[in-house]
Amino acid sequence: MKARMQNSSSSAALLKQEFLKKWINGLQTYTNTKKEMTILDRKNAIKLSADIAIASTRNFSTNWSRAVMADVSKNVDGSSKIVTEKILGRKETCIIKCSKNIMRKSRLLAHRRRAIRRTIGRTSVKAASAIAKELVKKRTRVLKRLVPGGKQMNEICLIKETLDYIASLQVQVDVMRNIANAADHQCLDSTERSLL
Amino acid sequence: MSGRRSRQSTSSTSSRITDDQIIDLVSKLHQLLPEIRSTRRSNKINIEQASANKVLQETCNYIRNLHKEVDDLSDRLSQLLSSIDADSPEAAIIRSLI
Repeated sequence: MKARMQNSSSSAALLKQEFLKKWINGLQTYTNTKKEMTILDRKNAIKLSADIAIASTRNFSTNWSRAVMADVSKNVDGSSKIVTEKILGRKETCIIKCSKNIMRKSRLLAHRRRAIRRTIGRTSVKAASAIAKELVKKRTRVLKRLVPGGKQMNEICLIKETLDYIASLQVQVDVMRNIANAADHQCLDSTERSLL
Repeated sequence: MSGRRSRQSTSSTSSRITDDQIIDLVSKLHQLLPEIRSTRRSNKINIEQASANKVLQETCNYIRNLHKEVDDLSDRLSQLLSSIDADSPEAAIIRSLI
């Protein structure tokens, strides 16, 4: 793992380490809470811890990470709160609860912005460029749905958040893939040993 | 256009992206995306908008793929880790990787 980290840029490597530590912290909450877990339970636990961990690597300075936490805290099952506390600590978890208000405020602002835009008259020009603009608008709408919290952002903010979100997703996928491959090899080794 | 002057995005006033900003951000997305297929057909459409459209499309596809990968990896891991138990041998492996 260390050799691999030296190859990637140091900031990405630090991110990966931070994500991994937080993710494992999150997983450890499940060691004491439930003894019997179905495969689906485990999968959801793994995914939940991973999402909270990757969102927290941004220190909630980005909209998408705040949106992720707002979604997580909507989760009826109390496990999300426990995992969040384990990863972030109790103080930060209270701050996250306030993020719900931030999301609500930004939604109101977005509504107001949209209302203002509609009142300003728009000249409609039927041209190839207009068609292209429609396409861009359409794709932007799709992107807004994909990036957490995207619906409340203006277009410039959306693209900046997208850049950050994609970079974070890449970190998340890389680390999870490395762990899965490592666990794979270990399982293969131990089954080989048991056959001997 | 006021948008051009206020590049830094405290812009609640300018809601439209200027061409310069598109080019700037498109180049950054280019670096992150694994591959951009070159536009095959000739464009009567504005070049910047065509490339912005293409990049947005690639971005959406890429994000969807990444989401799916996270999901698949979570599936895989839930099967590999027989228990998310601190004392299990798999957890020891993970700890040794940190």
